[in-house]
Parts: sequence; C-alpha cells; structure tokens
Amino acid sequence: MQTRLWNGLTFLGSIAVTLLGLLLLTFVIGRVMPIDPVLAIIGDEASQQAYDRVYQQLGLDQPIYIQFLRYMSEILHGDFGTALLTGKPVIEDIARVFPATVELATLSILIGVGLGVPLGVLAAVRRGKLTDHVVRFLSLIFYSTPVFWLGLIGLIVFYAKLGWSGGTGRVEIFYTGIVQPITGFLLIDSAITKNWDVFWSAARNIWLPATILGLSSMAYISRMTRSFMLEQLGQEYVLTARIKGLSRSEVIWRHAFLNIRVQLLTIVALAYGGLLEGAVLIETVFSWPGFGSYLTSSLMMGDMNAVMACTLLVGLIFMGLNLLSDLLYRVLDPRTRAA
Amino acid sequence: MKRRFAFLLAAALIATAPGATAATPDDQLVVGMSMNNITTLDPAAMAGRESTGIATNVYDTLVRLDPIEKTKVHPGLAESWEISDDGSSITFHLREGAKFASGNPVTADDVLWSYKRNVELGLVGAGVWLSFGFTPENFDQYVRAEGNAITITLPEEGDPRLLLYMFGKPDAAAVIDSELAMEHASDGDKGQGWLTTNTAGSGPFKLTNFTANDVIVLERNENYWDDPASMTRVIFRHMPESQTKRLMLERGDIDVGLGLSVPDINALSSNSDVEVQPVPGAGFYYLGVSMKDERFANPKVREALRYLIDYDGINATIMPNYGVERQRPVALGVLGALEDPGYALDVEKAKALLAEAGYPDGFEVELLALNEAPFLDAATAIQGTLAQAGIRANIVTGNGNQVYGPMRERNFEMIVGRGGGGQEPHPHSNLRAMVVNPDNSDDAGLSGVIVWRTSFYDEELNAMAAEALTIRDTEKQADAYEAIQQRLEEVVPALLIFSQVVDTVVFRSDVEDYQNHYGWTTRLEEVHKDR
Repeated sequence: MQTRLWNGLTFLGSIAVTLLGLLLLTFVIGRVMPIDPVLAIIGDEASQQAYDRVYQQLGLDQPIYIQFLRYMSEILHGDFGTALLTGKPVIEDIARVFPATVELATLSILIGVGLGVPLGVLAAVRRGKLTDHVVRFLSLIFYSTPVFWLGLIGLIVFYAKLGWSGGTGRVEIFYTGIVQPITGFLLIDSAITKNWDVFWSAARNIWLPATILGLSSMAYISRMTRSFMLEQLGQEYVLTARIKGLSRSEVIWRHAFLNIRVQLLTIVALAYGGLLEGAVLIETVFSWPGFGSYLTSSLMMGDMNAVMACTLLVGLIFMGLNLLSDLLYRVLDPRTRAA
Repeated sequence: MKRRFAFLLAAALIATAPGATAATPDDQLVVGMSMNNITTLDPAAMAGRESTGIATNVYDTLVRLDPIEKTKVHPGLAESWEISDDGSSITFHLREGAKFASGNPVTADDVLWSYKRNVELGLVGAGVWLSFGFTPENFDQYVRAEGNAITITLPEEGDPRLLLYMFGKPDAAAVIDSELAMEHASDGDKGQGWLTTNTAGSGPFKLTNFTANDVIVLERNENYWDDPASMTRVIFRHMPESQTKRLMLERGDIDVGLGLSVPDINALSSNSDVEVQPVPGAGFYYLGVSMKDERFANPKVREALRYLIDYDGINATIMPNYGVERQRPVALGVLGALEDPGYALDVEKAKALLAEAGYPDGFEVELLALNEAPFLDAATAIQGTLAQAGIRANIVTGNGNQVYGPMRERNFEMIVGRGGGGQEPHPHSNLRAMVVNPDNSDDAGLSGVIVWRTSFYDEELNAMAAEALTIRDTEKQADAYEAIQQRLEEVVPALLIFSQVVDTVVFRSDVEDYQNHYGWTTRLEEVHKDR
C-alpha cells in the first residue's frame, strides 16, 4: 500500500517536472525568437510612444525570470492570461478551437485505421505479389504527397468541379452560429439538437479534409502494420499453427494479428497525437478554425500566453497517450505485468 | 455501418447539390479575407487594413473621404463645417437626431470623449493627432464644443485641409458611444478591453459576432441616421489561403475576396462571373538604404542605385496587381503630384557614378526583403541589375519582424520594403513618412517614420514641407510641393521608389456599387446584388 502511494506520488511528480520543463523551454524559446508581439499589435508604422506603451502593457520591460515567475504564479491560480489575437482568455479560445480539431482528427484516424490495418495485413500476407505492390505503392503515394497539395487538389476536384464537398470552414456560412456548442463537436451537437440541415452541411464540409488526413495516416499505419505482421508471420509458432491444421485466416487474425496489437496501438496513438496537434496545413487550406491554425497564428504573432497554453496542452496530450499505451501494454501483454 | 454512412452521405450530397443560382443569399454579403492581422476592433488601437475596413462600417466619422475624387470630402456625422479665414481652426456642425446602434443619442460630448480617449491612450490612432501637436495636456484647450458646434484649433501652424482629412479616418476619429463604452470599462481602460471584440458605433452596421480568425458578422443597424444599408448582413470569413478564396469566388460561395495573390487574380481575370478591381492605394514599394553606412551616405552611390533598378521590367513582370510604376514619394492624383522623372536602368551611367564615388569594382551588401511576393521577386530582380555594376547583394529574407525590425532599429544596409503613408489625399501624408525627418538623432526613436529609419535628413526639405503646409492659396501650395519633389531628386533620397501600391479586390459580377477605397475605408452600406 505504502509503495503504491509512493509510486503514485513519484509518477505525479515526474509529470509536474516534465510540464515545468516544457513551459520553461517554451518560454525561453518564445523570448529569443525574432518575433516582436508589439509590432504585431501596433503595426509597422506606429510611433515609438505607442510601441513603448504596449511594450509595458505586455510586461516585456521586466527581466525574463520575473516574467516567467509571474506567468507561473498566474497559471497556478488557474489564469492562463488573455490572447493578443482574440482579446479573450486563452482557455476560452482553446475550448473553442480544440473540439474542431478533435472532431477532424478522430474522423481521420478512424479512416486511417479502418483502411490502413486491413491493407497492411493484406500486403504482409501477400508479400511480393501484386496486391502487396499495389498497397505499398498507394501508401508510398499518400505518405510522400504533401497534404497541403492534396487538400488544394481535393478542393478543386470535389468542391469547385463536382460540388460534392461544401468547401471550407466547418459548416456553410449561413449555418454558422445556429447550433450552440454542447460538446463542441458540430456533428454531434447538430444531431443532438436535431438540426439536420446543419448536420449535413457539417458532414459535407468535414469529409474531404478528414479523408485527406486519413489517407496520409493510412499510408503510415499500413506500412507499419505490414512490417509488424511480416515479423510475426516469419516466426515458428505460425508454422506450428498451420501444421496443426488451423485455417489460414485463423492463423493470421487469431494468432499473428493478436500479437501485434500492442505495437500497433502505440503507432496509432502517436499518429492520433500528431493529428491532435492540429494538421496546420490542412487547417489553413480548408480555413478550419482549429487548434493547429490557432497555435500557428499565435506563434507568428509572438502571442506567448496562447503559445504556452497550447504547448502545455500538447504536452499533456502526448503524456496522456503514452500513459494510455503503457496501460494497454499491461492489459494486453501478460509479460509486462509485475509478478 | 460504414456502407450505410457512405450511402447517406451520397444521398445528402445529391439532395443539396447546388443548382445554377449562386450560393450566397440575395440580402447578405459574404467576404473572404485573412483575419490574421485583426487583433482588435477598438478604433484607437487598431492597425492595418482589415480592421480599418470593418470599423469603417460600424463607426461613423465627422466627414467621409471620396474614394475616387481624392480631394472631395462628404458630410458624415457633421452636416457641415467651415475653416476659419486664418486657417487655424475648423468648426464642425454635428447632425441633429443621429443615434448610436444602442439607441443613445450622438452628442458633441461623445465626439470629444472619443478623441480625447484616443489621444490619451497614445496607441496607433493617436499618431496623426500627435503629428499636429495635440497632446493629452493641451487637448481641452484646442478641442472644444458649444452646443452642436465642435471647434478644433491647430496647436501649431499647419494645413487645415490635412486636419479635415483626419476626421474621415476611423482610427484617428471614430465617434464612440461613450455611455456604452464606459459601462464596460474596467481599471480605467476607457473600455479598451471590451471594445477589442465589441463595438459601440453609429455607422450603417453593428457587430453581432466576432470570433477571432473564424468569422465576423455585421448586421444592419436599424438606428442608422442615413438611408439603411442595402444588405441585412455582411459576413467576413477567415480564409488565409488565396487559392481557397479563388475557388470559393468561382463557385459563388463568397461574394468578395480580399487580398488574393496575384497568380490567383490573373487566373480570375478571364472569368466572366467575377470582376477584378485594382485601385491605386496608400504607400509605395521602395529600395531603401541606410545612410549610417558611409557608402550610402555618399549621394553618388545613391544616384548609382537609382540607375540600377529596372523600373519598366519590374513593373511589367512582377508588380501587376501589386503596384503601378511610380518614382516620386507623392501619391498619384493628390495636390502637386508631379509626373515621374523617368529614371530607367542605365548600367554604364551607374558604373561611372560608382567609380567617381571610389567604388569602381562595386561592393558587397546585405539586402533585406520579406519572404513573400512581390518583395522577394523585386529584390531578386534588383539583385540582378546591381550585379551588372559589380554590387554583390546577398538577399536575407524573413517575416515582417525580421525584416522591418532591424530597419526600425536603424541597423540595416539595404531593404526592399513597402510603406509611406498616403491614407489622406494630401501630399504631406506621404512626405511625413518618406521625406520629413524632424530629428535625426538615434535617441529620437522615430521608428514609425520610414525616412528616420534610413537616417536621411535634409534641413531644407524639412523647412520646405513645413512652409508648404501654411500656404493657403491652392495653386501656390501646389507649386511648393512641386519644388519639394524636385529638390528631393537633386539631393537623392535614401528611399528609391519604384512602384505605388495597388489594392486589388475581386468580387462576383452581380455585386453592385462596391468601390474599394485607397485609404482602407471601403464603405459597404450601398453595396447590393443585381439578381
């Protein structure tokens, strides 16, 4: 019991230290970056008086360690400050932009896993045959084509030419603001409130960016699945199982695939984390009001309050995902359980 | 499950497939633009064209500047005005019965409160006030109201018409609903926090939704004192990517596109569904040098640079829709603006001048340029022509901070930049940015003044510009401005201009009465759709 408590405390301690380090690093980088938030606010041709005034308002005249300590004490009071770009509390901003990205990332990862895993298994089983080459070629294409370009081409074909996609943004302009956020996920919120026209508009807008992101994570997931599977299929237990008379599909799915679950989970979790950070390029092309574009525009402005809070969130996400895959390892792999 | 979803999706797509009609409603205007630079809608604090464009339609000013006939001034909240005979003051007569969107009456007190607030906050909007000599201390002495008459007296001798133009600029002179703003004030900020994302104006529209970097919605203000706006709503949507704006214009999902890149504008030029409207705007593209550098302190070297720019080539190939050829720091169409002197690329002449200056083999130099079109393209072209005379320019690119930052600190050698005033239709609007350097010491800290950044200083030009402001006879005043431009060519400025800025807007052909304004103050109340 004692040790368990102690383990829990050290675990929490290590998280706190990691986050503190992350904040410190971000803060220092933010201050040495050649970006002047004051100029971003007042424009290039403003007078020196205006410059000095805003410089003081932002507290930039204080030594950097004082700035950092002040920032830390505010955070501990739950105050993450106000964003320069929006004039609103950073927390409010993140609560607004993050769900948009989670929604997009979740759909994308579902597409990525739904296509990537079966294709990867298929390619491994048919190693060296035509199917394998086709799958590898496809994943190479989607892995190496920039999503930015795919996004623009997708818009030209499916939106401008065919009219199958609703264009940019989360929802058509006239449906903006009709549905009040409940969960922040527009598809879910509009379904709950039975605003079906909003739901369809949101669906029309999300499928294209989600598919493009999904295809690029499919490329990664299928390649990894294929190589994990090949490793398993070359092992003796597979041969043994076949000799014992198990069917081919049983061997593949019940034996080999079960053994790569754990590795696969780690890969998927990391891919998902990457998507949650915000696929900045896709968010830019599709004018998607998400976390990625928020973080980027804050960074471009040198808006440290927003950047720090975003960094903290990204740090927490990756820690959470790591923790999750650790736990799943223990659940799924008996060898890792402490005796 | 997946299959069923795909089926439903396909059904939905077919059901909502667009017909032949454009997608935007008849009574709403949809504008696509980048909102990356909209950090506040507080008129006194805002900088830049996007926020000015929105504030123009929400806040009133006493007068309005005509978008085409540059020297024409229309009534706004002021019904009429007169300039005193000695040119030292203007008296405005405030319109009776005007109301703010909140329903509060517009009073002379609101006007005075708004102006004083601006000067006291000392942010971007205060710049023009300060340039006339107004300060928080002397404000009450020079700005007074009696009933509905508001009298503004110039603290220092100057041109009352230039002062008049200031009252058409929302950043300097928007009239704010003082009662509403003070209801939301905190810590003595005069409502600055609240006004960042809310508005309190009397203009044709009112702000109903401000979601940073996503959407801004203006609705018709039913309390507006003049004819109500044609459109019930104007929706601005954040679209940072030019290609996206182009596609949405082609589909008719947005009515107006601002800030498209030139390749996209060129692609749209042949499309009969849209109209491309280029308008000469405020400011210039220039090659600037620092006269702290002994090489560029030498007028011979600056003159050599003058003959090492391929004006015709750059303007024909790089600048279309970004700028039009211009070589003088006075905007086309204002009082006293002279024709171009007609400089052209002349490598032999430049070589001779460099040899005279003691640089027969040229020299190495660092050339700063923003890493975007047209700056980088123009810098590359200039790099090529400089090389023909032996000047080896190494281009260093970066974002606005990295490029203009060192220039503001007077710590650079050479730069391709953009700027130079011109939001008021008066030659002084350009000269105070490009020519007049009131104090050339490093401690003066005039980093907002482009000419100060180059360390160019000419006592006589300063005197001539100050003198020109005091001439009441229009013809003589025009002569004075011509003389300034001629002298500038003789002394060779540190800012060699090759183009005047052009603002290009693209809109659907059924959008009527959209007239882009050179001073970023495009009014939307009369814009309607011909459907």
